Amino acid sequence: MPIHNFIALLTFFLLTSATIAQTSLKLPETIKVDPAALTAEPMCDPKISPAWREAQEIDGVKIDASPGCSPDNPAWIAAAVKGTNNISMDTLMKTGLSPDAIIKTDDLDGDGDPDRIIIKLEIMELNGKSPDFPGLVPTFDIAPGIQPGAWVFAPKTSGMSTENFESVRANPLLRLPSPVIRVEVGDIVQIVLENTHYFPHSIHLHGVDHPFSHGEHGGQDGVPQTSEMELMPGERRIYQFQARQPGTMFYHCHVQTHTHLAMGLAGMIVIEENKPNNWLQTLNIGAGHVRHPSVAVREQFDQEYDLHYHAMDKELSGIIQKHNDPRLIARDMNQRYDITDSTEDYFTLNGLSFPYTLRESLIIVEPDQKIKLRLLNSGGELIAVHTHGHHATITHYDGVEHNPVAQIMRDVFDMAPAQRLDLKLETVNDGKHSYGEGDWLFHDHREKGITTNGMAEGGSMSSIVYTSYLGEHGMPKVSHFGIDLNKYFTKEYFERRLPVWQDLDAWSSLGSPAGQAGFDTTTQTSLLNALYGLLAGLLIYLIFAKREQIKQCAVAAVSRLKSPKGSNQ
Amino acid sequence: MAKTITITFILAGLLAFSAHAMAQQPAKPSEHDHQDHSGHDMSQHNTAPTDHSHDHDAMDHSGHNMAPDHTIDHGDHSDHSGHAMSTQSAEHCDGHHHHHMDHDHIMDHEGTMIMGQNLDKLPSSCKSISEEVEITVRAGRKYSAKFPGTAFAFDQQQWHVKPCAKVTWHFINEDNIRHQFMMHGLPKYLYKYGMFHLEVTGPKTVSGTIIVPGSDDTFLVHCDISHHMEKGMKAQLVVGKGAENIPSIPGVTPYNINDTYEAENLPKISDKAEQSAMVRQITAFTNNNFQNYGMMLIGLLIGLLCIPLFKKIPFRKKSG
Repeated sequence: MPIHNFIALLTFFLLTSATIAQTSLKLPETIKVDPAALTAEPMCDPKISPAWREAQEIDGVKIDASPGCSPDNPAWIAAAVKGTNNISMDTLMKTGLSPDAIIKTDDLDGDGDPDRIIIKLEIMELNGKSPDFPGLVPTFDIAPGIQPGAWVFAPKTSGMSTENFESVRANPLLRLPSPVIRVEVGDIVQIVLENTHYFPHSIHLHGVDHPFSHGEHGGQDGVPQTSEMELMPGERRIYQFQARQPGTMFYHCHVQTHTHLAMGLAGMIVIEENKPNNWLQTLNIGAGHVRHPSVAVREQFDQEYDLHYHAMDKELSGIIQKHNDPRLIARDMNQRYDITDSTEDYFTLNGLSFPYTLRESLIIVEPDQKIKLRLLNSGGELIAVHTHGHHATITHYDGVEHNPVAQIMRDVFDMAPAQRLDLKLETVNDGKHSYGEGDWLFHDHREKGITTNGMAEGGSMSSIVYTSYLGEHGMPKVSHFGIDLNKYFTKEYFERRLPVWQDLDAWSSLGSPAGQAGFDTTTQTSLLNALYGLLAGLLIYLIFAKREQIKQCAVAAVSRLKSPKGSNQ
Repeated sequence: MAKTITITFILAGLLAFSAHAMAQQPAKPSEHDHQDHSGHDMSQHNTAPTDHSHDHDAMDHSGHNMAPDHTIDHGDHSDHSGHAMSTQSAEHCDGHHHHHMDHDHIMDHEGTMIMGQNLDKLPSSCKSISEEVEITVRAGRKYSAKFPGTAFAFDQQQWHVKPCAKVTWHFINEDNIRHQFMMHGLPKYLYKYGMFHLEVTGPKTVSGTIIVPGSDDTFLVHCDISHHMEKGMKAQLVVGKGAENIPSIPGVTPYNINDTYEAENLPKISDKAEQSAMVRQITAFTNNNFQNYGMMLIGLLIGLLCIPLFKKIPFRKKSG
């Protein structure tokens, strides 16, 4: 019998050692993620009508073509140019704007355009917490599956905050960034802030020529420590100015600025030169391509783009997703959040991060064009925008023209927080202005600027695309280089669950390895459980076998305790 | 996006129609001046107006009486509704909804809106109108004061009516921003999307009428401006005995998802009562020390009490 046992043990040992030897010979297999397992989105949102991309005329407003994937709703542009008070009801209903959102009246200087401009802005929350269900409402994705809590100035809308009653997605007018405002030098402008948000806010017109205090409307520098009280929820305030100087400027909330600005209450405001018959596109919703540029810009340039760079900290934007009670949000933002310990996680261009920037913020060019770019940095750190394949000329700093003889060309444009730059991009193929046609990236060259929460490729990068490199649905044509951008249009990519390089070769040499050879964690735990069971069984057997001895011991111990106290004497 | 486009198209069609209808109003001898004014305004939107100078200096002058006017206006038009209904069913198949909402969506130049109004169409569950009631609803930030942790509210959080009641709502927005009185869950064959919707920028009033169904039910009422409902502007209309309560209505029903609250270390007057900083430091010091030494003392006592027990066990062993 003992010999039999011995042989059995020996065979078992040999077998196990063989398996161990084999597993150490071969490393884990590569596991390739099946594209069917991903939540894929179409690169270009098919819900947008291709007709929106075409050059057209609505209510007498000429709208330039915008061949990108997601151009602005042309009705928005018509309403912004003529004013919601001067367009047809049909057009107005296509905008979703309130009929009093943009009121344009009175040609005071008789030059053919209206000079009294009233712009009504509301303040809307995006991706905030609901007390009713675990999700966020109304949602706005800056990249697939990325929904930072944000606040925006929004043009005054009509109706629901979501697309419809079944959807939690925000109405397209409620989005990042706050809209670009365009008015003319000499216009009597009233920006009417209707505070629809649950916190106090204000507007500070950074760089815009505005009086510190207005006779009728009181202090209007937007600063609760110098010029005015915070504008409480449910209240309205008028900011009135008549600017004497043109330039690319900035407007933002100045209440608890260190948090409110980063939350998204920041936008570009452009004061255009006063020209005859200058019907301006008063709002450029979502920034980007200006499809109805001013007279002055049309005289000098072929195209114009508003490029608004912004950055957000997920700890800050997460506060409105953690609490619903405004008192708790106020406490966490005002007393607990410490901006000096903060880091920026999301980097956006015109409110979106790559790859969504490809849908909206491509600079689509032809050779030998002159393009005006207006850049604003509303993030908390210096950025360094680099244009591949091009050197552009800096024409204006902070809205003021640089001495034309001293203007310089660069390919990295550093911008301090709140800074604005006007650039002249010339697509002349001379090896300096441009190196020729292509799909040329432009991006913040701080490397974190091309990440979304540290995950590349993301952030504020986009492209200067020549039309010869523009593919179907207005997306860059890259497939002839073997490039597939589809993986970026999945939320799993930004959840860091998709091996970035798995598709670079046929056998996924840089894909994801399977778990440790031998047992995976679940089998390990079940084996361990079996072992515990075995031990427990042994213990029970021992107790059973030695029960007589245990009984004796117990009796002895009890008797010891029971015996009189003095027994030790 | 496609949905939004279709919806805007539908609204556009309807608006054009209602504008047309209103533009015809002045022809009627029984018109009020007010009606004239808004009719004029609407038609101006269709032509190319030159000047709207009245817009910029007056924010809220277009009529508190607007809604009652509309009510009358709709009464006059009741003969049309039957016609509208029949076109609806015919057009429905084509996917064109251009005409059937002509009385459903009314908007003025300031965005005051009445949508899904129903003055005369009886729900299939009703034989006749059981009662006619008028309910005034006030909306504003100040009504949130009695509900800590909210920012906006209606003056009441629930209303009770009988089944088949004809209810006229007078919605008074007391804030200087937009608010909505939006009701959901109504029968869709009478109310587009099952919705009845009043919207107005305050301070101003808008009114509209509905006929509630004949069965016991509870309908959600809220303001759909971003986070107005989440921050308190939510209520319910209880018809008859009502159905299931709607969650997170301030003072009526609990939230589904609750925030967690903790006590804050806020400055108190009692902190100040111990006048000087020196006194406070000394008392703090002694308080602290008392706590430490007290705990030590208790530990010591327990130890002393346990000594006999510890002593016994080893001795027993020996004797054993």
